[in-house]
Order: sequence, then C-alpha cells, then structure tokens
Amino acid sequence: MTQNTTQASADTKQATFEIQHRESIIGSYRTEIAIAIAIIVLALAVGSQVPQALSWGNFANITQAGAPLIIMSLGVLLVVITGGIDLSVGSVFSLTGMVTAQAMAHGFGGFEASLIGLSVGLLFGSINGFLVTIAGLAPFVVTLITFAVAGSLAFIVTNGRSMPIGDPDFWLLNSGSLVPGMPNYILFCIVLLVVIELFLKKIVAGRWFYAVGSSAQAARLLGIPVKRTTFLAYVASSLLASFSGLLTISYILNAESTAGSSLMLQAIAAVVIGGASLLGGTGTAVGAVLGALMITVIQNGVNLIGINSFWQGSVTGVAILIAVLIDRFSKSRRGAG
Amino acid sequence: MKNSLHKHATLAMVALATALGANAAQAQEKKTVAYLAPSLDISYWQWVGYGVKQKAEELGMDYIELTSENSPAKQMDNARTAVTKGVDAIVIGPVSSTSTPPLLAYLKSQNIPIAFAGIGPQPGQADYTSSVTANNYETGKAQGSFVCKLAKERGGNQVGMLSLPQDRENAQKYLKGAEEAFKADGCDLAQMLETRALTINEAVTQANDMLTAHPDIKAIYGMYDEAGTGAAKVLETRGLTGKVGIAVADGSPTTIGLLKANAIQGIFFQEAVGQGIDGTQQVYNALTGAAVEKDLALVMPLVTADKVDSPEAKAVIARVFPPAN
Repeated sequence: MTQNTTQASADTKQATFEIQHRESIIGSYRTEIAIAIAIIVLALAVGSQVPQALSWGNFANITQAGAPLIIMSLGVLLVVITGGIDLSVGSVFSLTGMVTAQAMAHGFGGFEASLIGLSVGLLFGSINGFLVTIAGLAPFVVTLITFAVAGSLAFIVTNGRSMPIGDPDFWLLNSGSLVPGMPNYILFCIVLLVVIELFLKKIVAGRWFYAVGSSAQAARLLGIPVKRTTFLAYVASSLLASFSGLLTISYILNAESTAGSSLMLQAIAAVVIGGASLLGGTGTAVGAVLGALMITVIQNGVNLIGINSFWQGSVTGVAILIAVLIDRFSKSRRGAG
Repeated sequence: MKNSLHKHATLAMVALATALGANAAQAQEKKTVAYLAPSLDISYWQWVGYGVKQKAEELGMDYIELTSENSPAKQMDNARTAVTKGVDAIVIGPVSSTSTPPLLAYLKSQNIPIAFAGIGPQPGQADYTSSVTANNYETGKAQGSFVCKLAKERGGNQVGMLSLPQDRENAQKYLKGAEEAFKADGCDLAQMLETRALTINEAVTQANDMLTAHPDIKAIYGMYDEAGTGAAKVLETRGLTGKVGIAVADGSPTTIGLLKANAIQGIFFQEAVGQGIDGTQQVYNALTGAAVEKDLALVMPLVTADKVDSPEAKAVIARVFPPAN
C-alpha cells in the first residue's frame, strides 16, 4: 500500500515536472508562438483571396525569398541582444556579392571566391567590433560609417555595373541539396537557427550576450568578457550578412551593388518583430527567423493580391507595431502572473 | 655684347608672352560641357555620360561630370558649381522632371544652353535648349503589341508586367501605351507589379509571385533591365524558359546575353549613349549658332533574339552602352 502511494507520488511529481517544463518552454516562447500564429493567419487570409498562396510552390517561393533575410536577421539579432545595432549589414551584403563576382571574373573558382567574399564580412565585422569595443564609439555611429564605406566600395568594385557570376556551378550553393530533397538555402537557415538558438540558450558564452545587453557594467563585475563578447557579435553579424549575400548571388547568378540596400531595415525589423528589444538583453533566434518570415509573407501576400507594392512598408510597419504590442502585453501578463 | 644679350632676352620674353597669350586665347575658345548626372550608381546614367564625353571629344570640347546623388538641392548646387567653373553648356539627366524649373530659371539667367537626356523637363517649361528622351508612349505601344504577340504564339492571351514605379512619368507613358496595345490586340494584363528597389532579386520575387497568382500568364513585359533578368531567372527555375515569353526595355550586356540564349525574346533598347551624344550635339549647335532640335523623342528600337547579331542590331547596341561593357 505504502509502496503504491510512493509510486503514485513519484508519478505525480514526474507529471507535474513535465507539465511545468512544457509550460516553461511555452512561456519562454510566448511571443514567438504569437508571431507564428499571426503568420499562419496572414497566410490563410492571403489564401482566401488567392488560393495558390497556400500551394507548395508558394511555400518554396517564400522560403527562397526569405532565406537571405532570415540569415541576415540572425546576425543582427546577436548584436541587438548585446545592446548594439548593426546598420552596415546591407552594404556588407552588397559588397560581398560584388567582390565574389569580381574574384570569379579574375579566375578564382566558386569556393575560393566565396572565401574572399566572406573575408569582406570578417573585415567589416572586425572593424565594427574594434571601433565599438576598443575605441569606445557608439555602435550606431560606427556601423553608419561602415554602412557608407561598404556601400560605396560596392559601387567602386565594378564602377556600379552588375556582374554576372562566372562559375557555372555556383548555383549549387543556394539551390543544390546537401541533404537529399532539401534545398541548401532551407538547410542553411535551419542549421543556423538551431546552432544560434542552442548557443544563446544552452551555452554559457551564449548567455553572456544577454548579460552584456542587460547591463554591460554588471556583466563586467561578474567577470564576463564584455569586449570579447561584443566584438564577436559584430563579427558574426557581418559574417552572416556576407553569407546571406553569397546565397543571393548564387541564386540569381548576378551581383548588384544595390542588392542589399533594403535589407538592413528589414533585418532590424525582423529582429524587433521577433521580440528582441533594441535596448538589448532579450531576443531569440526563433523570434528573428519568424520575424523575417513574417516580413516575407507580407511581401508575398501584397504581390499575390496585387496591392501596390509601395504599401509593403506601411504593412510591415503595422506588423512591427502589432508584434511590439503583443510582446509588451505578454510580458506584462507574465509580470502580473 | 651686353646690349645684344639684352635684345635677345627681350625678344625671347616677347615670344614667350605671345605664345602664352595665344594658348590662353585658344583655351578660352575651347568650350566645356558639363554633364550633370542624377546618380552614377545606375549604369544607364554612366552610359549617358559616356555619350556626352565621346561627343564632346569629337567636337573638341572639354568635359566635366557632376553627380546630384538623387537630390534636387545637390543638382542645383552642381549647376552653380558648373557655372562657377566656367562651363559653356550643360547636358543633364535630371533627378526628376519636377526638379527642373528653378534650375532652368538659373541657367537662363546665366545664358547657358542646357539639353536634357533620358528624362525631360517638367511639362510647360520652355527655357531649355533641347530634350532628348525616349518616346515612352509610342514605345509602350510597340512593347505591348510585341508582348501580346509573344503570349499568343504560346497559346494564351494573359500577360504580366514588372513595372517601374508608376510615379514616374516615363513608366506611366509606357503603361498607357502598352495597355492600349493589349486592348487592341486582344490580350489581358493579368497583373502588374511595381518595383521599389530596382534589383534583380526583387524582380525574381515579384515574377515568382506573379506566376504563382496567375499561372496562365504567357508573356512578361519587364519595364526595366533587372525585371527582364529576374523574370528569365524565374522561368529557368520553373522550367518555363521559352514557354512564357519575355520582352524587356532598356537593354544591357546581361539582357543581351539572355537574348542570345533565347531566354528573352526581345529587347527595346533605350539609347543611353545616343541620348548623351544627341544632347551634346544640340548644346554645341546652340553655342555655334547652328539649328537646334528642341524635342527629340526617340522611339526605342526592338532587337529580337534571331537578329541580335545583325549589323543593324550592332549599330543600335553601340548607341546603348559603351563597348567596354
């Protein structure tokens, strides 16, 4: 009898723990769940007007169109969590494409040219990180400068001309399938999402990003390497912007000096929609990806329905507002609870 | 001996002064033309500049170039800078038609001839020497007919359009002409999407979305070069190359490559270099008292895939972009 009672008590404890664990996961991703629901509602609303919106082909369109933004947003997220901002990502995206295309035009193969292209990200990320951490300049100012410089260099590299991609196999980077049945652009998004989310949530060094963003001074007192963490955030952001640029030129097989001009604001918007605060200390990779997806679904819906594309900015603005309100509402409820 | 040296030195000085004076007079006679570009990040405006420079060299004129960075205020500053530098004439690709009235008033006060290239002055303005633009309405009609023909050859009558922003006067004229042609030739414009970024990537997304919403579209009209390139990419991805026709306006090395590969069926070339050449000729005529043509509206010539290597097509392309491209 006693044995049965003990067993029942243990089962109850186990069940309670599982429910609490599930609730804590749901609780910590409340904003993200709300965004995911909003995306589904949005897609269904567009689907009610244009049935093809819910087709598999359109899903492929959305993921393909959204992949560069998703990857760039993941990079920007890391900087935003540390309380910074990276305005240079769009220009780095463009410059990477131009440099890579130019390298191929000078006889480099796709792989070598990609490494040269990625070095653009490494260079600009290091410059941003150095100026923010060592020189102590404001992230807004620093990345505004590198935004201007990289943007200008993107024109200088080819005198403003678009460049075709020389390597005939370069399309494989984006549209090939390292995993059978899954295009690489989806694979890269999933891998980066999982790696960055796990890094931020499960690895001590990842938690440092939140600590630095919440209070750099407190983090320093706790012995967290604030400068190194911040530096890494900028390098990662630029590298991911570069990679996103590579993926895009691999898809369209053309590099353009203005290719990334609209992406910077979209990436920041995606991160904010995803629940990150521009004051730092909060945000998840899942949220950033969902934010980027939401922007892409809005753009896709506007096109499918045939609304004048100039409305896209307004619709995205309203989406950001709704996301911020949802976030604030859910946080205040959590606070009240 | 001393006297003789003095005499020789004096003679040498006189000779030098005469030579310098003659050079200065010659330099004064040499005219300078300034090209004011709205921005040089778009190849089109670089190519207009190439045409201006080429013609200026041919006419023995000096050439300077200033860019307005898409700002009407900078454009005005550039005009003043050019006048301060002593230029004799200006060829301008304006930031917009509406930005031109104060500029024209200023240049009139300075007695500087000005030719427009690519984009004309605001309607109602008369204080300019010449305006060399594409005849967008007539070209739109020709483009509409050609696109409709492409659709019908592919067994349908639905067409799609990737448009320039419709707040531009040239885009409105293209659209008006094309719509009239569609109506006359029995085609339906299933959807028109306007660009914001003017990039290939954006055009790819738009073409994808358009074909998803309207799978019966049999021909696409790209109103700018990147639109045609993006649409061709989408058709290739969907295995529809040749099954859906593409016609594009402007023309560039990229779209010519696609034309040669039969991924695009026709290009209506906008003669960027030609507009620079013609604009420079007109301001030169004004300076030398020769006859000036006030409004030159060039109909954009069509080059189809089967004729892209013909001598006529090569002559057209020479007026589109510089040979280095």
